This record gives sequence, structure tokens and C-alpha cells, in this order.
Amino acid sequence: MDGEFEQQVEAMLRGIHPDAEHVEIHEFGPIPGGFSRETYRFDATIHIEGIRERHPLILRMDPPESAAILDTSRAIEHDLIEAIRLNTQIPVTESLGHEMDRSVFGEPAMIIRRSHGNSSTTDLFHDGPDTHQVDDVVRHLCESLVELHQTDISTLNPDGHLDDPRGVGIDASSWDRYMDTTFEYYLDNYPKLNRDPLLCILLDTFLTLRRHKPRPLPLSLIHGDFNPANFLYADGKVAALIDWENARVGDPREDLGWMMMMDDLSNTKIMSHPVDEGGFLAYYNKLTGYEITEQELGYFILFGSANIAVPINLAIKRRVNGENRELLHLYLVQSSTPAYPGIAQLLQYPGVPA
Amino acid sequence: MISSPTVDQLLEGVLIAIDDEIMPSLDNPAAQATAQMMQSLIQGVRQMLPVIDEQLVDEHNDMIRTLVDTAATLGDVPGDAADRLRERAATLGQWEPLPAPPDRDAIVAAHIELGRAIEASFLDLDELQRAGVARADEALNVVRAHLAPRYVREAETFVVGDGFVGRS
Repeated sequence: MDGEFEQQVEAMLRGIHPDAEHVEIHEFGPIPGGFSRETYRFDATIHIEGIRERHPLILRMDPPESAAILDTSRAIEHDLIEAIRLNTQIPVTESLGHEMDRSVFGEPAMIIRRSHGNSSTTDLFHDGPDTHQVDDVVRHLCESLVELHQTDISTLNPDGHLDDPRGVGIDASSWDRYMDTTFEYYLDNYPKLNRDPLLCILLDTFLTLRRHKPRPLPLSLIHGDFNPANFLYADGKVAALIDWENARVGDPREDLGWMMMMDDLSNTKIMSHPVDEGGFLAYYNKLTGYEITEQELGYFILFGSANIAVPINLAIKRRVNGENRELLHLYLVQSSTPAYPGIAQLLQYPGVPA
Repeated sequence: MISSPTVDQLLEGVLIAIDDEIMPSLDNPAAQATAQMMQSLIQGVRQMLPVIDEQLVDEHNDMIRTLVDTAATLGDVPGDAADRLRERAATLGQWEPLPAPPDRDAIVAAHIELGRAIEASFLDLDELQRAGVARADEALNVVRAHLAPRYVREAETFVVGDGFVGRS
């Protein structure tokens, strides 16, 4: 990290702690992995009234505008994390503040507290070292998700910023309007995507979703990227749910469907726990009374895949058009390809192996 | 088979990333030389790809002609070596020349046009299905049955085992 950047982090922390006499940054370094945000870990020693406290922190920064895939706001993410932390029992790390002025870090950024706990959630499964904790951790994960889905939306989204956080025309005034305007968003954007002929399965997906709208459920605040990599755990509990950038008002089955798909792709077994409750979905249904079926989750796997496929293929289009030099956007072509047989299977294409 | 981005665009993207993201971070001379060799090889592959089929066919056909012409030039020169040359002209030299490979750009353009027609079929079938036409369901299955093996084949061809990067 260059000195100027380090000074900016210090200055931001001074702004957050105006009573601090001194702020020192230690061990600043990037956290590898993750496509959507650049993250750095560091410790900050803050001196206030003669008392020194060392804080484990993370700087979470937007990628350059040309490289961005999801257009989300660090200010909205900060407000949401704090609303969750202050109003619910859902485990999240504190968000200390955000800096939306690009002249400071080059891109908008936020500082959050680093959670304790193990982020290698694969340790809970198969022959991992923490298999004895898995039922307790997943039980808590499910209870946290239920609390998120059942907390009054206005508590977590008082300004309505999460009704349509990407600004793509979603109307969350009712479940029907939410679904219908989301279909419109998908279909209106299809002609703007990088339309390789192979991509026509997305058009089929969008149209099929619109033809087969499921029964309504109450809208809720959803995580938007609820997957086995987005929580940390310790001592049989979830220590923190992380990566809230795609949170929005939506159908709670979106989070469940996404977890079901990512659980399969990650070779974890979250959906099979807690065993004594008959698995994640059964326990979720017991706590909510929603009686959601696996078939419904199949629908919402497609719905969630469409939700991410649109911004991804818009980004690929920008790269193919030469609007930037990002390798990531070309790599997304390859990394998206394994999803298509899975989508074809959910759409019941003849002859696609399970 | 994906045609957008093109193979050339993918390779160019790798070259650019080596230039923009990797070279500036390399302070080891051996690593810099390796990165430059990688760029050189990738650029060579980019230049080879558009002409490889055409040149293979051209060289294939010219080798047939050369075997025949070589033996003809020798005429009735005696000896085992000359016999072997005439034998090659009589066997390999009689192979049929290969046809010129089709124009890749023309194939891609036609492929895209047909792909657009498949897309349009989805829209028309959706309109019929929403109007309650039961046979549109069957017709949709015909389109899906065509596409299904393409997606499986694409994943088998283009996706690299353990190639997924990101948070583990």
C-alpha cells in the first residue's frame, strides 16, 4: 500500500472517530478472491483519551467503474448493515463508515469490522475438522435467515433505497408488481446483452419465468447472495453474515434457491442440515410456516440466475465492444458456461443429464 | 459454440491483461522474460488461428502434387530409391485433394443469423403458449431438444476443470 492511500484510510478513521488523538494503520494487505469488490484487511490502533484500542478492520472498495458488474452503493450497504446490527439478532459485523467521494480512494469505499470466526465453511462438511459443529451452525444460519426475512422491511429499509437498489425499474410495492417489473427488466435488457447465439437459453428462461409465476409470498429484505461462502462461524454459531452488496427487497425464496444451487456447486451440504429438523428447507418452513417446496426453489434458482446473468452479460457486452480492457469480463464468458446445462435441466430440456 | 467474444478477442484480452496487470508487478527479470514469451506465443497463436485450416489444406494438396511431380521428374531412373519414390507417387500421390475449408467469417455470420431465428422462435412460441395453444408446448420442446446437447457440449469443450477462480 502506498503512503498516500494509507493516509486516506487514517483520515477516514479520524473522521469516524473525531475524538481520536492518534490513529495508526498496521498490516494492510489485500484479501484475494471475490469478483465484485476489492477488499483489504488491516488493523487500526486508535488512541482516545489516553486509551489505545486495536481494531481488526476491512476496507471494502468498489472496483473501477469500467470493471464494475453490479452497480451497488457502499452507502446503502453501510446503512443496511447498521440497521441489521442495531435492530436484529442477525450476526453481522459493524460497518464503521463509508466514503463515496471518488477523489479519496479512487472509488467509493467502506470500512467494516473484521469478524472473528472461520470463513472456510467447507471445514463443516465431509471430513472437515468442524463437522461436529455443522448442525448447530446451520441451525443458527437458518434462524438468522428467517429473522432477516421476517423483520419488517421498513425497519431495515426505512428510506426505500433497497426497493430497487440497482435502479433498474423494479417496483416493490407488492409481490405481483415486484415479479412483473423484474420480468420486464430481464426482457427489456435481453437485446442489450452480449447476444451470442448460445445465450438464447436466457431468453427462454425469462419467458418461462413469466409464464409460470408461482404463488405469492410476503416480500422481505433478502440477502441477495446467500451462499456457503458468505458467512463465518465459531463455536457452533454463525459469527457473521457477510457481503450484503446485493441485498434488496425481494421474494424470500430467492435466498433459499440461491443457497440450494450454490450448496450443490460448492459441494457443501448446508441444505441437508440441521439433520434433526429434516434439513434447511424443512427447518425454514417450520419456523415460517411457508411450506416452500423444492419445486418452488427450482423456479427461484432460475429467477436468481436471471438476476445475475443480466448484469454479467451487459458487462461482457461492454468488453466485447472494447469499452474497457478488463480480462474479468472475458473470463466471465468461460465461468458462466457451466451454468447453462444446469439452467437447461431446470427448464426440463430433453436429454440433459442430471 | 460461442462465437462472441471471438477466440481472437479472448486471446487479445489475455495479452492486454499481461501488459496491464502482470508486467508492472514483475521485478524479477526471469519472470519478465517469461511473461514476454507468453505474450509472444499467444500473439503467434492469434496469427496462426485464422490461417491454419487453409494452410493445412493447401500444403496437403501441394504435397500430393509434389510426390507425383518428383517421381515424374525422375522418369525411369533405376534403383530401389527411385522405386520407392515412384511407389509414393503411385499411392499417396493418388490421394484426392481436399476441398478448400469454408470461410470462417461466413460460417459465423450464418450461425448468428440462424441463432437469431431460434431466439425469435422462443418469442413466438411464448406468445402462442400464453394464448393457450397446447401444441406450442410441444414445439418449444423441439427447440429445447436441439439446444440441450449444445449446452452440454459447450461446457465440456470450454470449461477447464478446477478453473473456477474466486473465494474458496
